[in-house]
Amino acid sequence: MRKPPAWVLAILHGIDSISRVVGLVAIWLTLLCALLSALNAGLRYSSGSLLWLAHQTGIGLFQAVYDFYAASSNAFGDSVWTMFAATVMLGGAWALKVNAHVRVDLLYGAVSERTRTWIDLLGGLFFLLPLSVLLIYFTWGWAWESVVSGEGSASAGGLPQWPAKMLLPGGFALLGLQGVAEIVKCVLALTTSYVREFAYEKPVQ
Amino acid sequence: MMDLLRGNMAPLMFAGLIGFMLIGYPAAFSLAAVGLFFGLAGIGLGLIAPDFLGNLTFQLYGVLSNDLLLAIPFFTLMGAILERSGLAEDLLEGFGQLFGGIRGGLSYAVILVGAVLGAITGTVAASVIAMGLISLPIMQRYGYSIRHATGVIAASGTITQLIPPSLVLIVLANQLGRSVGDMYVGATGASIVQVLLFAGWVLILSIIRPQDVPALPASARTLRGWALAAKVIRGTVPSLVLIFVVLGTILLGLVTPTEAGAMGVVGAMVLAAINRRLSWSVLWEGMVSTMKLTAMVVFILLGSRVFSLVFQGLGGSHWIEHMLTSLPGGQVGFLIFVNIFIFVMAFFLDFFEIAFIIIPLLTPAATTLGIDLVWFGVMICANMQTSFMHPPFGFALFYLRGIVPREQVKTSDIYMGAIPWVVLQLVLVAILIFWPGLVTGFLSQSGTTDLSRVQIVLPPDQNDILNTPPAINFDTPPKFN
Repeated sequence: MRKPPAWVLAILHGIDSISRVVGLVAIWLTLLCALLSALNAGLRYSSGSLLWLAHQTGIGLFQAVYDFYAASSNAFGDSVWTMFAATVMLGGAWALKVNAHVRVDLLYGAVSERTRTWIDLLGGLFFLLPLSVLLIYFTWGWAWESVVSGEGSASAGGLPQWPAKMLLPGGFALLGLQGVAEIVKCVLALTTSYVREFAYEKPVQ
Repeated sequence: MMDLLRGNMAPLMFAGLIGFMLIGYPAAFSLAAVGLFFGLAGIGLGLIAPDFLGNLTFQLYGVLSNDLLLAIPFFTLMGAILERSGLAEDLLEGFGQLFGGIRGGLSYAVILVGAVLGAITGTVAASVIAMGLISLPIMQRYGYSIRHATGVIAASGTITQLIPPSLVLIVLANQLGRSVGDMYVGATGASIVQVLLFAGWVLILSIIRPQDVPALPASARTLRGWALAAKVIRGTVPSLVLIFVVLGTILLGLVTPTEAGAMGVVGAMVLAAINRRLSWSVLWEGMVSTMKLTAMVVFILLGSRVFSLVFQGLGGSHWIEHMLTSLPGGQVGFLIFVNIFIFVMAFFLDFFEIAFIIIPLLTPAATTLGIDLVWFGVMICANMQTSFMHPPFGFALFYLRGIVPREQVKTSDIYMGAIPWVVLQLVLVAILIFWPGLVTGFLSQSGTTDLSRVQIVLPPDQNDILNTPPAINFDTPPKFN
């Protein structure tokens, strides 16, 4: 078996690195998102007591916290779900790289590694790439319009909507890019001594 | 030929779904690919308008901006942290010592702890792994039948699926269009019955096969009196606090289920910190697995939205609804068919795949037959517990296999041990089919109105003016006063 060409490996490494960095952002967002949501709920229930404390003690800090919350609660709510959307759309490519997308492994689990590589190759070519391209096509114009028009939040004082909307075409582009890398890996695995890194395991839930 | 194709696009698409999924490419992408492929074919055949697929954008954005689905990462992260927080250990040791003296005592302890862990979080893996690591060695050492021991652990871990605040109920509420609070309240009775069924089975075993579930000898029960009380309190107090933080606040209407999940994450971190188990590596591993699970699950949902939008456009939902409503036996016939179908599907499909692909196909028919969707959801949830339990693909059995050395426990023992518990889970499904009151009895009836029964009665028409068309006279101009 001959070795995979070095320049191809370099490109693959580049794509994997992009997905990894973006995936790291998604990992951080899971924690940030939970903490922010808990803070939001906590502040909502303490808003009454904050006001009471501000009146009773006259300490400006309580009033300041209350004012801050009153002014930005919708921004909290919006940023929480935007982070969720980002976790999904930015994490999708990384999940593809580490083979974490769940499969119906009735056949897949029973066939040889070589057949699996073929399934991933053909699936990538005929399922993943076309759907990435089509979904970018469907979402791009709509998201770009939101950017150009500077579309605001559905709730007063919330965050603008375009970052969340741009996540759709952006996420599908990242997914498609990683999909290309995975297809190339399959071709390398079939024709050279290249070994694919991540075996499929059922996800833990 | 083309007409034949046109008339049968929906059944063809359904067959395509099965074919594409069976290949074994990731389900999310297969679903979306089937949807887009048949969408383009439908446009080509003139069955759907060319701009119909433009709706996709809004469908996909609707998934990502859905507040409820945020509960998925929150509850997953909470479970991942709790798994390492030492809570399960404290609970199991306390209750094990407390009940150990009676026959089957360790089994009761496992069932109870499974239920308590289930009421805090919603991940099967966390419960099964914790109980398998702690209880199984003790049960083996004191002569419990290995089949019974593995079965009770897997089943008690799986029960978190049914007990609020489970992820399954949140996802089903989202799919069925009912409130999560209603689903939680509706599932309460069913989960109590499930715990009782499990405990009843242990009781029966302790009478007919006492050698399988021996009592612990006094020498094994090292904790007594205050030490035992302290151990039990150490486990139960934090559990009760967490149950209140997560479940209590939802049921009281203080926070949304999503926020409760977020509070649960903070609560789990605090508990782990108190037990000195909170470290950066624990947190980071939790975050990594949460991100992977969230991306995986929501991508399936995105894919299934693509599929179902096109499937509806091609008239597929009418086709399925027609097929299902024409089953013999009305409501009960439909429910029995659906439950057998889901039971079989659960051998092959992941829970999330069932919820996102199959449930939307069944819901219109259930509504047409006048089935309360909360009842329906709880029943499906009870049924899907079995997907974690049946050999050879059940997740709970997988996890157990992963932590028990092969030389001690044979795989066939794990499989055989699961069978009585799967039967008990099916007994619950049967109870639910024939006794809807177990679910609906807990729901307050005030807020629900059956729209098909609403009649608007007009006042009697005394002058008979409505039965004849008004006379129109163009000779005189109309008068306005």
